[in-house]
Amino acid sequence: MSALEVSRLTKAFGSRKAVDQVSFAVPEGAFLSIFGPNGAGKTTLLRVLATLSRPTSGSAQLLGIDIKEAADKARTHIGLISHSPMLYPDLTAEENLLFVARLYGLADAQGRVGEMLDAVELKHRRHDTVRTFSRGMTQRLSIARALIHDPAVVFLDEPYSGLDPHAVEIFDGLIDVVRQDRTFIMVSHDLRKGFDMCSHALMLAKGRVVAFDEKASIDFAGFSQLYAQTVGMGVA
Amino acid sequence: MNDTKKAVRLPEAGGMWDKAAPFALLAGALLATLGFILTFTTAPLVLGATVNGVELIGDQMVSNKLLLSQKIFYFHVPVAIASMLALAFTAYYGVRFLMTKEARFDTCAKTATETALVFIICTMVSGELWTRFEWGVWWTWEPRLTTYLILMLLVIAYFILRNAIDDPERRASYAAVFGIITFVDVPICFMITRMIPSSVHPVVFRTDSGMSPDMLVPFLICFFGMILIAFGLYRLRFRQARLAERVALIKEHLED
Amino acid sequence: MHHYLTLLKKDLTQEFRTKEMLTSMGIYALLVLVVFGAALAQTASGFDILQMSGGLLWVLIVFTSLLGLNRSFAHEKENGCLEGVLLIPLDRSVIFLAKATSNLLFLFAVEVVTVPLFYFFFLTTTTPAASFWMIVAPLIVGTVGIAGIGTLLSTITINTRGRDVMLAVLFIPLVYPLLYACVSATTAAIIGSEGFMDVFAPALLLAGGYDIIMVLLSWVLYDFVISA
Repeated sequence: MSALEVSRLTKAFGSRKAVDQVSFAVPEGAFLSIFGPNGAGKTTLLRVLATLSRPTSGSAQLLGIDIKEAADKARTHIGLISHSPMLYPDLTAEENLLFVARLYGLADAQGRVGEMLDAVELKHRRHDTVRTFSRGMTQRLSIARALIHDPAVVFLDEPYSGLDPHAVEIFDGLIDVVRQDRTFIMVSHDLRKGFDMCSHALMLAKGRVVAFDEKASIDFAGFSQLYAQTVGMGVA
Repeated sequence: MNDTKKAVRLPEAGGMWDKAAPFALLAGALLATLGFILTFTTAPLVLGATVNGVELIGDQMVSNKLLLSQKIFYFHVPVAIASMLALAFTAYYGVRFLMTKEARFDTCAKTATETALVFIICTMVSGELWTRFEWGVWWTWEPRLTTYLILMLLVIAYFILRNAIDDPERRASYAAVFGIITFVDVPICFMITRMIPSSVHPVVFRTDSGMSPDMLVPFLICFFGMILIAFGLYRLRFRQARLAERVALIKEHLED
Repeated sequence: MHHYLTLLKKDLTQEFRTKEMLTSMGIYALLVLVVFGAALAQTASGFDILQMSGGLLWVLIVFTSLLGLNRSFAHEKENGCLEGVLLIPLDRSVIFLAKATSNLLFLFAVEVVTVPLFYFFFLTTTTPAASFWMIVAPLIVGTVGIAGIGTLLSTITINTRGRDVMLAVLFIPLVYPLLYACVSATTAAIIGSEGFMDVFAPALLLAGGYDIIMVLLSWVLYDFVISA
């Protein structure tokens, strides 16, 4: 079964099409990187796939679940890590995670929170408010927050923006740890890095798919040339 | 085409309604003019038909001295009703928009609200003239006046809200929601003179008093005239908005 | 139901830790009272404060709640928290109910302090009627409406330019009917002249009806606002 199967997905408002007839499929365990110039519709596509925004037409199946018809069912399998940490600064690390775990209705919320705090090595700071955390610690905690319900598909929305090189290193290490057999969908404007990480690559321009393939069959030089061309094409 | 979404019929400009719009406008203007002429020729002068007893407003005694100034009623009331009707369409298109998320309904709702604003301003101006003449004050915090002022503020707020949002879909959703809750004030405004008995604003629509045929005929003519004018304005403005949208679309294509 | 409680508990924990909304609203209310003091300082001694106090009290409440409501969604927006909550499978109207409840509780908390203060500053020189305690009813009904409409509108304005002013622009005309009814009920209770119930009861009923319509509408429409 495909982790994500997208068919003629369109997100439009009036005559403006932010995402236009996008179709692709990635298997479970894949790492898909989505590239494209600013305004190409990458983030809109990600938001539609993560059920934050409703598609205008077309369909998308996440692990066989239709994200339009059964959004709530799909949501239990979706995690999102973006450049904003989604953490309440005035709650402690533990309170933040417990809040999310309870909303997801996890059976052993307390136990799961302990587990996740261990995984991101923040157990010793669990009673401190997030406000007192460094940028790197906040990012680690936000990963724990995004994965607390053990989602099968994880969306990454430009997770590197605003991170210093050291934090990037930590982040990469963490992604490796939590990688397991999850599917990752990442929006990135760092072509080199995104290409290195991925197993599949997709390029958008003006909301349409310009290129999509497995990494094995893509030649990076040609791909980056194509990227340069799409940037020249401007905004949809 | 495996799209299961039911096709929604979208209002479009350029059809027979738009052909009819200028005629509606003209007919409305003629009807309204005819109504006004009848108002001054056939409708009798009213002696306190709509104000009972003596009221003290703004240090002026107001009694049965409704004379020529009462004629404004034939303009004021139809315009006010037209404005409320336009707001009903704002709410209706707001609901349609939220159900379909079609940008077209947002255009309709916006156009309806613009039409409403024109009529609201006319109502306010004619109302103020009348209160100045009859009650001796430009403004008084009388329930009908106040609720209508609130209605005007809400409509202005609707446009301020629209201006403060960049994302077109979000703008449309918020405007639709606000248009719907604004509409709650319309029945309140309409009913207020009945709900608060101390109100000195004349109550027009009631079963007991009724207008004499001499008054009713010009009133109805003016009324339908105003509705036609409202319809014509709405269609013309809608057509203009649609054309602007299409021009924007063509420009976008040309840039490619 | 457990969603509702979890969301509510989060708001309360956060507020009790920072006391941001409560202190800012409390201090603001005190400042408004001081301004009232200045505004009324030149009035004649025979001036009928009782007749005006109902209105003044509601001026205080409306402006203070406006300040609080503006803050209520700031935290949710700041770190993308609201988006995080929307990713979770839960009924969006529960988010409305939880937020409206926490706003309501904070407004009540502020009123518990400011209404006695108002009495202390302005009403100790005269004698309000025995029915004074009945102002509790319009206070409750009015605050429920303010919290309900305010929650919907502050969710809207959080995403607009110049959101602080925007909330006032949308909020004040929309609560006007409620305000009007509550002021007349409150004033009737404070003066307590004979037959004051003839004003008090219908005004309260009007306010209650407006509450029901507005809260229901806000509740139904909330999904469209928060998902937009």
